Amino acid sequence: MTMLGQYRARDSILHRLPAGAKLIGLVVVIVAVVVPPPTWWGLGAGAVVVIAGYLVGRLGLAELWRQILAVRWLIVFIVVVPLIFLPIPTVLATAARVVIVLLLAAIVTLTTRTTEILDAVERALRPLRRFGVNPDRIGLMLALTIRTVPVIAGLAGELRDAQRARTGRLSVKAFVVPLLVQSLRHADDTADALAARGVE
Amino acid sequence: MKTTLNDITRIATFAAIIAVLGIPGAVSPFGMAVPITLQTLGVMLAGAILGWWRGAASVLVLLVLTAAGLPLLSGGRGGIGVFFVPSSGYLIGWVLGAAVVGVIVHAGATRPVWWRVALGTVVGGMLAIYAVGIPVMAAMLGLSLGEATIANFAFVPGDAIKAALTVALTMAVWKAYPRAFVTPRQPRVEPTPVSVR
Amino acid sequence: MLSGQHDSARDSDIALTRVTVRHPTAAGEVTALDDISLETCAHNLAVIGLNGSGKSTFARLLNGLRTPTQGSVSVGGLDTVTDVRMLRRKVGFVFTNPDAQIVMPTVAEDLAFSLRGRGLSTGQIAERVAAVLAENGLAGHADLPAHDLSGGQKQMLAIQSVLVAEPSLIVADEPTTLLDARNARRIADLLLGLPQQCVIVTHDLELAARCDEALLFDNARLITQGNPRDVIDRYLSEIVARP
Repeated sequence: MTMLGQYRARDSILHRLPAGAKLIGLVVVIVAVVVPPPTWWGLGAGAVVVIAGYLVGRLGLAELWRQILAVRWLIVFIVVVPLIFLPIPTVLATAARVVIVLLLAAIVTLTTRTTEILDAVERALRPLRRFGVNPDRIGLMLALTIRTVPVIAGLAGELRDAQRARTGRLSVKAFVVPLLVQSLRHADDTADALAARGVE
Repeated sequence: MKTTLNDITRIATFAAIIAVLGIPGAVSPFGMAVPITLQTLGVMLAGAILGWWRGAASVLVLLVLTAAGLPLLSGGRGGIGVFFVPSSGYLIGWVLGAAVVGVIVHAGATRPVWWRVALGTVVGGMLAIYAVGIPVMAAMLGLSLGEATIANFAFVPGDAIKAALTVALTMAVWKAYPRAFVTPRQPRVEPTPVSVR
Repeated sequence: MLSGQHDSARDSDIALTRVTVRHPTAAGEVTALDDISLETCAHNLAVIGLNGSGKSTFARLLNGLRTPTQGSVSVGGLDTVTDVRMLRRKVGFVFTNPDAQIVMPTVAEDLAFSLRGRGLSTGQIAERVAAVLAENGLAGHADLPAHDLSGGQKQMLAIQSVLVAEPSLIVADEPTTLLDARNARRIADLLLGLPQQCVIVTHDLELAARCDEALLFDNARLITQGNPRDVIDRYLSEIVARP
């Protein structure tokens, strides 16, 4: 599992913008797309903003196409399911709106490092200190999770192989119970290690 | 509420477990015939095993990391976009769902009881998640609540199986590792012997 | 033996006074250590015994991860119950499994984690981290996910994360058990060659023999303390050979 997320390293204005500004900007643009009732003009303007975003962010139209391909099954779902209840033009307009919002959100994800977003989250939580929220603890929890995912994935792989070797097939119970028990043991070992490293 | 180091590592570990249950091929209950995601199973287990606030926190941690761009949802999905699709309500519903499961399983109990876990997974793991998921889907797709509820029935069989699995798994974990259900105030028992030579 | 260059004046006195450790289990109360009294200031101290003999509990007493049910433990004059904050700064702990010990996603972040809360600037921390990486052949690995390291490299990182905090005593609980022979040798050489005092719990009798002193635990009791060769002989003849 890659822990780099989907960041595409480029040198662009969008990459240099602070993560917090991009997130707020995204919310503003999404509200502008979603709140007014859909018109073909509005959707056209949204499409222009999306294309402009991929060009300004130096991500390129190939990346835009990759992002559309990545959500092709979702597009099928959001077109097919409402068709049971709604007329075709309404369904297409709604689907177009969802796709525009997704592609806009992807611009933020593609131009912002995971760590920048996590730092922005920690900063945003700082005013909550007076209510007993400890941003450092939350930061530690987030970092620890990133570290723990490959460890648990490794445990899962070993258990799967061990079970195949013994029975040749997989049962959910015989797989998930030891995965949970070993993972919780790992959690307790890690708590000891944090204490030993002077975390209180 | 003071978080202990055990709270922190268990929350992080359960967030990781939910992520790993989404890796394709990690677990495939019915061969590969039904591409079922076990992440909701992880959400129900988080509430049932960790209790309401740690369970909800582990889901929240997973969602924050996903928003930050990590591909932690089933099928390697990640990024802020996952919060702006018709199914996003279900993701937000996971937080509430884990909390409700935790309350029903843990409130006033010293050990998990199977019927409480069953009740918890139906009310928390299914109804609570639907309660957030259905209105969001309806709003995003322009459907009425009734229509969205009908569409939602596609998820019910899979979720019912996961709820039943959660009962069996929770009781089995209680037998194998009772410490899982209590936050240790005391230092832990004996470190596991790593190898016997 | 290997301790020629060290400054023994800096080595801490480890003292246990009538220490008993009990813990509850499903099957009732279990005694992990039973009325142990000892004193040592050996530079490299080996701790040997069978699985479950109490040696890991002994190691965890030294940095306050376990606390005595009865009696008291002091390390370098610090009581492990009342002075635990100071103690954790002074005593570094190396675990068997580095996966539990490495808590940050990347190599450099994990080293930096050991230096937080010491009033160092970000720049100073980065400098220290870079220096440690360069000294240990991990220079190109700074931003690598810890997960991508080999088993030997992970244990090396875990130990360097302990060392970067500059403890004066290092306690290692079976640090070589998960490693292949070559990496085990490398980690043993590193620990025994440190200027700091080391307590090493181990099943590796070759490593134990290289220490200055050894303790033998069996069934929660301290059986003997002394010259590693004699202690190992007694372990093999009395305990390992026991039917």
